[in-house]
Amino acid sequence: MKQSKIGSWIAFIIGTLYFIVPLIGTFEFSMRMKRGEYSFEAYRVVFSDPNFQQTFLYSTLMGLITIVIGVVLVVPTAYFIQLRLPRLRPVVEFITLLPLVMPAIVIVFGYLRLYNSSSWIPLTANARATDLLLAFSYVTLALPYMYRAVETGMRAIDVRTLTEAAEVLGAKLPTILFKVIFPNVRVAILSGAFLTFAIVIGEFTMASLLNRPAFGPYLQLIGANRAYEPSALAIIAFLITWACMGLINVFGQARQMKRST
Amino acid sequence: MRKFDFAAALRRALLTTTAMGSAAAVLVNGFAASARADAMEDLVTAAKKEGQLTTIALPHDWCGYGDLIEGFKTKYGITVNELNPDAGSGDEVEAIKANKGNTGPQAPDVIDVGLSFGPSAKKDGLIQPYKVATWDSIPDSAKDAEGYWYGDYYGVLAFEVNTDIIKTSPKEWADLQGADFKNAVALAGDPRTSNQAIQAVYAAGAASGATDAKAAGEAGLKFFAELNKNGNFVPVIGKAASLAQGSTPVIIRWDYNALADRDTLKGNPAVDVVVPASGVVAGVYVQAISAFAPHPNAAKLWMEYLYSDEGQLGWLKGYCHPIRFNDLAEKGKIPQDMLAKLPPADAYKKAVFPSLDDQAASKEAITKQWDSVVGANVQ
Amino acid sequence: MTATVDMTPPLPAEPGPVPDRSSAPKNLAVGQKLWAWLGVAPFFVFALMFLLLPTVYLLVGAFQDADGHFTLQNLADLFTPTILSAYWISIKVSVASALVGAVIGFFLAYAVVLGGLPAWLRPTLMTFSGVASQFAGLPLAFSFLATLGRTGLVTVLLRDLFGFNLYGTGFNLLSFWGLTLTYLYFQIPLMVLILTPALDGLKKEWGEAAQVLGASQKQYWTMVAMPILFPSLLGATLLLFANSFGAIATAYALTGSSLNIVTILLYAQIRGDVLHNQNLGYALALGMILITGLSNGTYIWLRGRAERWMR
Repeated sequence: MKQSKIGSWIAFIIGTLYFIVPLIGTFEFSMRMKRGEYSFEAYRVVFSDPNFQQTFLYSTLMGLITIVIGVVLVVPTAYFIQLRLPRLRPVVEFITLLPLVMPAIVIVFGYLRLYNSSSWIPLTANARATDLLLAFSYVTLALPYMYRAVETGMRAIDVRTLTEAAEVLGAKLPTILFKVIFPNVRVAILSGAFLTFAIVIGEFTMASLLNRPAFGPYLQLIGANRAYEPSALAIIAFLITWACMGLINVFGQARQMKRST
Repeated sequence: MRKFDFAAALRRALLTTTAMGSAAAVLVNGFAASARADAMEDLVTAAKKEGQLTTIALPHDWCGYGDLIEGFKTKYGITVNELNPDAGSGDEVEAIKANKGNTGPQAPDVIDVGLSFGPSAKKDGLIQPYKVATWDSIPDSAKDAEGYWYGDYYGVLAFEVNTDIIKTSPKEWADLQGADFKNAVALAGDPRTSNQAIQAVYAAGAASGATDAKAAGEAGLKFFAELNKNGNFVPVIGKAASLAQGSTPVIIRWDYNALADRDTLKGNPAVDVVVPASGVVAGVYVQAISAFAPHPNAAKLWMEYLYSDEGQLGWLKGYCHPIRFNDLAEKGKIPQDMLAKLPPADAYKKAVFPSLDDQAASKEAITKQWDSVVGANVQ
Repeated sequence: MTATVDMTPPLPAEPGPVPDRSSAPKNLAVGQKLWAWLGVAPFFVFALMFLLLPTVYLLVGAFQDADGHFTLQNLADLFTPTILSAYWISIKVSVASALVGAVIGFFLAYAVVLGGLPAWLRPTLMTFSGVASQFAGLPLAFSFLATLGRTGLVTVLLRDLFGFNLYGTGFNLLSFWGLTLTYLYFQIPLMVLILTPALDGLKKEWGEAAQVLGASQKQYWTMVAMPILFPSLLGATLLLFANSFGAIATAYALTGSSLNIVTILLYAQIRGDVLHNQNLGYALALGMILITGLSNGTYIWLRGRAERWMR
């Protein structure tokens, strides 16, 4: 129907304007580093720092690990809650909302108290273990978004019938989960993955207090008392994170394509 | 058998002992001097063996910490592990508490906190005493008698002005109420939480003549309420970026931050830093070593470094007045060009150093009443 | 792009060939429940270790005073006018940004999923939303200042090119609605991302079936699509509410000292240079958790009513 198409276009264009214009404002300001002229000076300063690449790669890797852990944790939970344990749903939903209102700094101080080098699970004993702790803290932060995305996706498919059909065809639980459920909530998982990745790239408090070389603390260190560099950094981080998400999206869709042929 | 002559023996013993005693005294004095040097050497060796120092809340642009940390690393070859430069004083104390029992690199060895946090950290048993070699040249009012905490530097509140937008810089607090400063004046923090902002309100009140701390706090609130009513007050937290962009052309902040901004911005925009003619309030920060520091010797060495002439001048290079400023000035150790970069010394003569009690009283008044008195009901 | 196994919709289902459960051995049902419990166990263990235990300290602290003795004083202190007003303003901002964000997000999601726009716009919007959903705090506040502030790019352009004085109309970025406008920058993308899978589940066949049966667009929406989407819409809006409720960095940077919200008070007590009454901070956090629990409860009640229709 032509009418709804115009409506859609209007909605899309207004949305685009709202999102792009502040970015243009930031970009314009970041170009003002040299007095009286527009230049990429701020960007040159940012890129000339070797730490930029290192910390960005570290955070990208952590982002991917967090996504995997998050998906493995959340999808089966949402599945079983929907299918067999609906009474538990309010409990799980409440738990997943907690990270949004709990200050990150309280959570990370809690980790340091519970899992420091002299506790029964010494997760700060060496760098790799601390990386693991950091990954778990990222998963905690991303939990609300990942859970809500996956749960919405699960709700949109008929898990009961899918499961029963698969069982009738002789599938065991792992097969049902990985070959039937996962592909059907692919879109939802991708949404959750995007949100998780963005969280990890920009996260600052936990990485800083657990003393890991992530991108968030780097942004803070560079941008702290500068005028133009933070704006340049914001634009750069935005564009690069967007590109990474594009890659995740392509990867996610490509496997889908292979499956249906 | 001859009677043993006790008296003689005693006399001889006493004489020998006294002789030995005075000889010993001379030797001890000599030893003390070389003992101090030896102690220093031992400290350096012990610190190098620990190999690492963990700091927290030290932004590189704050008081020239960037250069100081580099200097320490180069001089002693010890790695410096920097945690959360964005931390506030409360965060630093909390970090010590949370890392009790943790020997990993997340536990801070040394902290740099606001004056009122020194005594409270000592009370909570979070810090350990240490007296640096130059201990005696630190003013008594700025240190704990037992050596738990010690003042490191101070600055006064000044106006940071973007002269591209504001043509005439304000000379005093009252100037800010003028029509030239519509939508122009901002604080560098939230007066309900940030020490810098609270002292700014206090300073505004002190400028109006109030002597009692609580009265000064309330007078300051009235000043800002009027500023808000005139439309001159901008509730945005002032930073270098907002100064340059134009939303906060006048920021009230510590002089060292303003001067550091002036350097970083390199004239784009041009920045003027003005210490007000009256109501000059100084803020002291203190250093302390964590009671649970994983690298106590490195921490002590860091303190020695900071309180040496080299360290103190390093802070001065970052525009902070080191606590041993007067001592260094008397000994003529301050380079003239460094002095030239600071605002005129006269401005600092009028500086008021609020005591701990003063600070507590004014904080109480300001934080509790900010919302009701000034509370931009910007709805 | 959606289900690889095409199933009939969960509308009034005809009794079809379903495995007769009553004849299956009881062990099967028990076995299934056991597997279900095992399946959710990792989540609960994780939540216990990495979310609940670290925050027990916070909950216990809310009931202690500075010396560690049990006290209810912190909770009593929550009922001072400043703090109550802070909670109220926080709730107002969160509700405003959640509702407006939900509505706009819905229309935007609908536009790219079902609105007949070019197919490549959808992944572009999805990935962009991913990034924008976390673009918050000082960078976001500053970008809005640089755009819509008194000396912002748009304000200046409107004045110079069109002679239109934006601030003359009474608009002020540094206000309740200015903050809400800024919050929308991460609320709308969040809504878009969460809602897209649900919109995907809205089968085209149902629209066509409704048309065949003679329903108008409006009837299709009010009687078929909306009721199906309602629980998902509610859940997403709840997430937006909690997301905004817990946000601090953006508000602090933009309207820091003028708007009194709970998160700023909380951070002042826990992190501040000044006040540092941690136990009061913990009590504030406890209050926030309770409000979140209450909104979650409301959502569950509303959803229960919506789902009753579906059965």
